[in-house]
Amino acid sequence: MPTLFAWLFDAYPSGNGMSVWLIDREGQSHELRDTFSPSFYVQGPSDRLRDLSASLARRRALVKLRMTERIDLFLDRQIEVLEVRVRVPGRLPRLFQQTSRAFPDLTYYDADIPLPQRYVLERGLFPLAYCAVDEVQGSIQRIEALDTPWDVDYELPPLRVMTLRLDGDLQDPSRSIAPDSDRSSRGDLLVEIDQRRYRFPRHRGRQLVVGVRHLLERFDPDVLISAYGDNYILPRLLRLSRHYGIRLPLNRDRKQAVQHKGAHSYFSYGRIMFRNEQHTLFGRWHIDRQNAFLTNYYGLDGILEIARVSGLPVQTVARVSTGTGISAMQVATAQRRGVLVPWQKRQPESLKTGLDLFAADKGGLVYTPIAGLYEGVAELDFTAMYPSIMVHYNVSPETVEAQCCEGEEVPELGTSICRHRIGLVPETLAPLLEKRNRYKTMIRELPSDDPKRQRFERRYSAHKWLLVTCFGYLGYKNARFGRIEAHEAVNAYGREVLLQAKELVEDAGFRVLHLYVDGLWIQRAGAGQADYDRLLNQIQTQTGLRVALEGVYSWLAFLPSRTEPRVAVANRYFGAYEDGSVKVRGIEARRHDTPPFIKNTQLEMLALLSQARGIDGFRAAVPTVVAHAQEKLRALRAGEIPIKDLVVTHRLSREPMEYRVRTPAARVALQLTAAGVEINPGEMMRFVYVPGPEKVRAWEDYPSDRPYDVEAYVELLTRAVESVLAPVGVDRSTLDLWLLGQCGYWGPPGVLPPPGADIRFPLLEGSGAHAHNQVGRTVSGSAHEDLLSDLPTPEAVPLAIDYKTPIGVE
Amino acid sequence: MGRTLPSITQAFLQEQASLARFRRALRREDQRALDDLLASARHHLAASAYASHLLPFEVMLLAMLVEEHKRVLRLQSELDILRGHPVLRE
Repeated sequence: MPTLFAWLFDAYPSGNGMSVWLIDREGQSHELRDTFSPSFYVQGPSDRLRDLSASLARRRALVKLRMTERIDLFLDRQIEVLEVRVRVPGRLPRLFQQTSRAFPDLTYYDADIPLPQRYVLERGLFPLAYCAVDEVQGSIQRIEALDTPWDVDYELPPLRVMTLRLDGDLQDPSRSIAPDSDRSSRGDLLVEIDQRRYRFPRHRGRQLVVGVRHLLERFDPDVLISAYGDNYILPRLLRLSRHYGIRLPLNRDRKQAVQHKGAHSYFSYGRIMFRNEQHTLFGRWHIDRQNAFLTNYYGLDGILEIARVSGLPVQTVARVSTGTGISAMQVATAQRRGVLVPWQKRQPESLKTGLDLFAADKGGLVYTPIAGLYEGVAELDFTAMYPSIMVHYNVSPETVEAQCCEGEEVPELGTSICRHRIGLVPETLAPLLEKRNRYKTMIRELPSDDPKRQRFERRYSAHKWLLVTCFGYLGYKNARFGRIEAHEAVNAYGREVLLQAKELVEDAGFRVLHLYVDGLWIQRAGAGQADYDRLLNQIQTQTGLRVALEGVYSWLAFLPSRTEPRVAVANRYFGAYEDGSVKVRGIEARRHDTPPFIKNTQLEMLALLSQARGIDGFRAAVPTVVAHAQEKLRALRAGEIPIKDLVVTHRLSREPMEYRVRTPAARVALQLTAAGVEINPGEMMRFVYVPGPEKVRAWEDYPSDRPYDVEAYVELLTRAVESVLAPVGVDRSTLDLWLLGQCGYWGPPGVLPPPGADIRFPLLEGSGAHAHNQVGRTVSGSAHEDLLSDLPTPEAVPLAIDYKTPIGVE
Repeated sequence: MGRTLPSITQAFLQEQASLARFRRALRREDQRALDDLLASARHHLAASAYASHLLPFEVMLLAMLVEEHKRVLRLQSELDILRGHPVLRE
């Protein structure tokens, strides 16, 4: 019997068993068959189980029944359940649906785990595993993985990639309302494979289908990567194929039809979200870059990494949020342990008194920093804090509020955590955290031009997204293994750990400027690397969690709130590390609705400032920044900015007709609806501000010769500049003067007054004392100020910036 | 000695203990200021006991304010002296 060595590419139920696709070293694909009979479990009163058995007995050819024992996670012991084994895997979902509808009072387990995942789990495989396969006439006798999901530097099969996109700017083609008479090349289908590009004019439907079919047959690609393939290119190709009666082999498996899932809107974290329709293939992958969740952060490398560690099929990973990935990993741990996986969660929160809730229902610890510009600040971050807490303190839904043993008390809450067994969540996360740390070390050791480095970095950031969501899932009521008490315990530990770190930092003589959930911003004159190392060591020893020096800032600005200038906000800050890299949070450049032109201009200004050293350097660089802003303003007014850089993106939060106030998003939605485009709540509206009563115009329908609304963008740009200069006390009126005129009170645009003086008022003659006035608001020249000027100077001057009108988000 | 109500010192210590978490989460310089305030409230324990107020914490806050205002008055008079036109306040 010959042994085949190849990578597991795809597996799905087909016929009486599973179709398994493998790709070998030469890039050759192999389709094999495997038998597989998955089962689900039912628990309930014995008479009801008898009724169920009687009803299932009629389908003896399909199912095999027996009583058996499996572990219940929360009871921590075996319970008696009825095992329903299904001989044809593809029939399980429907059989389960019928059963649960006829017997809704019974409890079901292992019933809704996706079959591809169940198959790989049962065979001890995972997607893209390198396998040794023994087969006889296309049927698998033995399949075994030769590597593990926890390998760091693994080999991947050679993949032939075909890309599909439409010519022109990247716009959602399903929203295009350009007339059909438009004979430009915009909208032509561009197909790239094997470093060659093919163009198919969009008006020649028949030629298009025949052409794509020819390329599919000639190159037999493994992966189709598209932009808007899910909601436009694939459905359109399929329609044309039906219309002309030309078979289009999008699937490698000719027996299957392309799988389609409709679009829907849903509610998540207080926002309406929109999930577009999906088209997935068999024996071949289709990945839509525009319909993938966060793929820009981690690319194909990240998707494959998540598929390997989570056990979910690649096409699923490319379309779902990473929360599904972590949930699948917990299912895998449960299956390995023989623990029953609940179908619908029946785990209400245990009762709490008002006071308990008061103590428990808190999030992470967040300080309000003091607004201003600082130098010599170090940022310490706990590495993957919440998942590390779960692993280190054994926080899991079944270990919290332990009754089984003495356990260990959770700070603040007074409940305890079981210590005699390892929780399901910690067991799932521990290898992932370890793998992540290994990537981190390897990335640091590789030279920056090593091609491996980029690949590792992508996988590393994919882990980050997996780990971020595991925390939310712990408290999510509908997650299979979520329990709010576990979520609360993690939060309580998080606060405790951060406060312990704060105390150690203060004992070492540092001043704590800011605390934010898992980060500390600390300052001490003359502190060096040795001091930080000692500190990190101390914190790590005491808390048991990894903590790292994120960097030392050469300057750092905490910004005041837009609505209350006397108060800083926790998550609006920016700074330059000593190596010149910039960290930005909460200002325009980080917002998703900011048009690229504004975002880039702000980042360019920050890049200019990042060369500056300390507070003095920052102040000295202000004229350069203002000059840059003036140049951008000139270009904007002259109409020189390409329209695609001015596109604003807002999320539509309800049905277009439900809006009472005409927000820009509502206006755009109405424009598109009027043109016959279907729009759902949660979808992103892309538009350009235009002069006149219309105010905004949908980007997908923007006439190329139409001018943009200069004043609207001047306002956006000015606000972006204001955020950058706010740390040195520049207010809106000063900024307007600088940007529009050629001077300021203190000299040419950008020249700041001496430290401490109010930027809006010239020095009064002969009273040098004002220059040292810390309060800034000089009213009269009385002897008061002379005395105040002798007060010690605080390291940072709290800012009082007047925003003429509070600027809110529309 | 058995008591129906806690003594004022006990009540004070209880209130102080209940602030432990608040105090812990403050920056160290702010912790010092809080300690000063709590200490200043102890100057008026006798008056607080005599008040037999239902909510001892309210009386503690008032005691802190008394001490704070005394300090403001003292600074004001020192300022006046330094300015060269002392005002007799006492």
